[in-house]
Amino acid sequence: MELSRRTLLAGGFAAMLGGTVVGCSSSMDTGSTKKNAGGNIALWCWPGGLGKSVLDDTIAHFPDQHIKYSEIGGDFKQKLLTTFNGGTSIPDITGVKGEDIASLLPQATNRFVDLKTIGADSILGDYLEWKVKQATTLDGKVIGIPIDIGPTALFYREDIFTAGGLPGDPAKVAEQLKTWDDFLAAGLELRKANPKAPIVADAVDLYGTIISQGTSRYIDKDNKFVGDQDHIRKAWDIAVKAITTKVDGKTLGGSPDWNAGLDQGTVPTVTGAAWVALDIKAACKTSVGKWRVAPTPSGPANFGGSFLTITKSAADPAAALEVIKYMLSADNQAKAFADAQIFPSAPAAYDKPQLKAADPFFGGQVPIEVFGPAAKSIPIAYEAPLDGAVAVPFSDGLKLVQAGKKTSDAAWAEAVSKAKQIGKRQGVQ
Amino acid sequence: MTLTAAAPPKQAPRTANAGRRRSIWSYWRFYLALSPFYLIFLVFGLYPVASTILLAFQKWDGLGPRTMVGFQNFGFLIEDSTFWLALWNTIVLFFMSTMPTLAIAMALAVMLHSAVRLKGVYRIAYFIPNITSLVAAAIFFAAVFSTNFGLINAALRGLGLPTEDWLGEPWGIKIAISTMIVWQWTGYNTIIYLAGLQAIPTEQYEAAKMDGAGPLRTFFSITLPQLRPVVLFTVIMSTIGGLQTFTEPQVMVGNNGGTGQSGMTVVMYFYNQAFFNNDYGYAGAIALSIFVLVLLFTAINWKLLGGRGRS
Repeated sequence: MELSRRTLLAGGFAAMLGGTVVGCSSSMDTGSTKKNAGGNIALWCWPGGLGKSVLDDTIAHFPDQHIKYSEIGGDFKQKLLTTFNGGTSIPDITGVKGEDIASLLPQATNRFVDLKTIGADSILGDYLEWKVKQATTLDGKVIGIPIDIGPTALFYREDIFTAGGLPGDPAKVAEQLKTWDDFLAAGLELRKANPKAPIVADAVDLYGTIISQGTSRYIDKDNKFVGDQDHIRKAWDIAVKAITTKVDGKTLGGSPDWNAGLDQGTVPTVTGAAWVALDIKAACKTSVGKWRVAPTPSGPANFGGSFLTITKSAADPAAALEVIKYMLSADNQAKAFADAQIFPSAPAAYDKPQLKAADPFFGGQVPIEVFGPAAKSIPIAYEAPLDGAVAVPFSDGLKLVQAGKKTSDAAWAEAVSKAKQIGKRQGVQ
Repeated sequence: MTLTAAAPPKQAPRTANAGRRRSIWSYWRFYLALSPFYLIFLVFGLYPVASTILLAFQKWDGLGPRTMVGFQNFGFLIEDSTFWLALWNTIVLFFMSTMPTLAIAMALAVMLHSAVRLKGVYRIAYFIPNITSLVAAAIFFAAVFSTNFGLINAALRGLGLPTEDWLGEPWGIKIAISTMIVWQWTGYNTIIYLAGLQAIPTEQYEAAKMDGAGPLRTFFSITLPQLRPVVLFTVIMSTIGGLQTFTEPQVMVGNNGGTGQSGMTVVMYFYNQAFFNNDYGYAGAIALSIFVLVLLFTAINWKLLGGRGRS
């Protein structure tokens, strides 16, 4: 007994020490491309990232691949990066969120398989071009197949629009609210009839939408800062106009006030991606059937939407691509939409019966009639890895204008200089 | 720690008069028994700290190779107005939350000390906020302070006072955040003060009474001086915790700290740089600055409160 206990302790000690040493050494090896063992495919995604029935079906469809699915909760990107740096247990296939893809592209070649080299060319055309572009490096490597997208629309309260003298029918709303100027003008009219229903929920949010409607953002392909130019200033000025004409509700999306306002009519419109419908539905008890969907004024934008990628550790990338092809086929995307409102990235899915369903929450309207055309005409804009960071001073500046703490020009000047400084830190000219 | 260090020499003569080197090795069982703490500390404490210090002098995006950049990150830090703003916010929030927390905790502890009935119930009730989930509490407080449907504005309206856009105004944000910190930490400090109060010998109070001292005089001349080491402990713990405020502002006003970034704390800025901007080297430099800040504040507190040495 005594001997075995001692051995046990010593063994544990050795194992711990061994683990430490191995852990340290592999973390030093940043360029590791050690292959996983063959015979099975490890698949990582976050909760709700893939439709459950499609996932189960895919696993059953490839019995020889022994697909092992792991649902990774919490900060997905961080856990993926940590695993990459750890060098072991790297998944063969992993989801990458839309907001993280830009920051991963510069290191794409070290960590992800260029899908074009394993025959993805034949299927890339099945997916929306602008979405594939988000997962394409500047030198043309494609590292991800899109799972879903987030095309925007204007969600609005039909009852509040008609009571305020605005059109209620989606076709007529689309007709009258063609641009943001029309939208703000309608807001003035609505304010006269109903001062408690500002047409813009949050001007800062509106600004973000307008930026996403454009074809260029804060940093261009040559890594030059262009955030001080006209296309950004125009978006800024529209947001400021919403503030100064007092059609801005200053209600942060997702806040308690926003949630309560959706149902009570103090937030009469939401400009958001298709998945925002889930939030609106969750918040509304009494206004079911009173909401409608119309095209986004001044054209569609996209928020979110993720990818499936194949890592360099994958034992058999070609087999992994077959799995992705199957899972993200138009048929399966339609199923995932019916399952979990995962909006298809393959336009062929928009004609499937699951997407053609009328939605009683929207008074029997068929939302895909708005989202489908929107999805197909989203502008392609280059998003630099640092784009998100550089955008922050602008939205912060608008918040100050919104709170009446700064004039538009002063806030703009400060935002530009702060953004330039953040860019400089990371080598942006 | 002192105990374990003293143990080997005491036993040394008994286990044969061998050379020093051998005597150390003959205690391997003791060292083995001690080792789990040190090994875990090494892996989860010392190694991360050391690599953070190294990282502060590097440029790293989380995936690619690391490059040494010398003091460049610290140069950026000095020029970065957002960093200084975050530092200012952190210090202001620290004072706005710690002072009321400790004052209220002291008052509560004195009251609890003299109360006879239901002492246990009060103690539990005051301690519950401290073990409540931070995120849940922050969501609750964000709702309480919300503009149109919040409890506080409803109360103000009821009293006929003007309402405030609490989470949209720079000072409103700070008040909301510090209110939550006060709510969460008052009970914890009360319990510690209460324990300290119970350790003060009753003779001193009796003597004070004989000399005709009133309750206030007794408090300031006996209770407070006697509690000095306990107060020092709570101030240092509050400093370490308060200068690392993160969850409260993050949940209440979002990752960028709300209007005028007035809820942006240094730890939040560090978190943003590392996990949103993938600028791990710069984040390492910010983390080091927090370390220096905590050290500085602790030293100041030590000088102010612990000046006369241990009692």
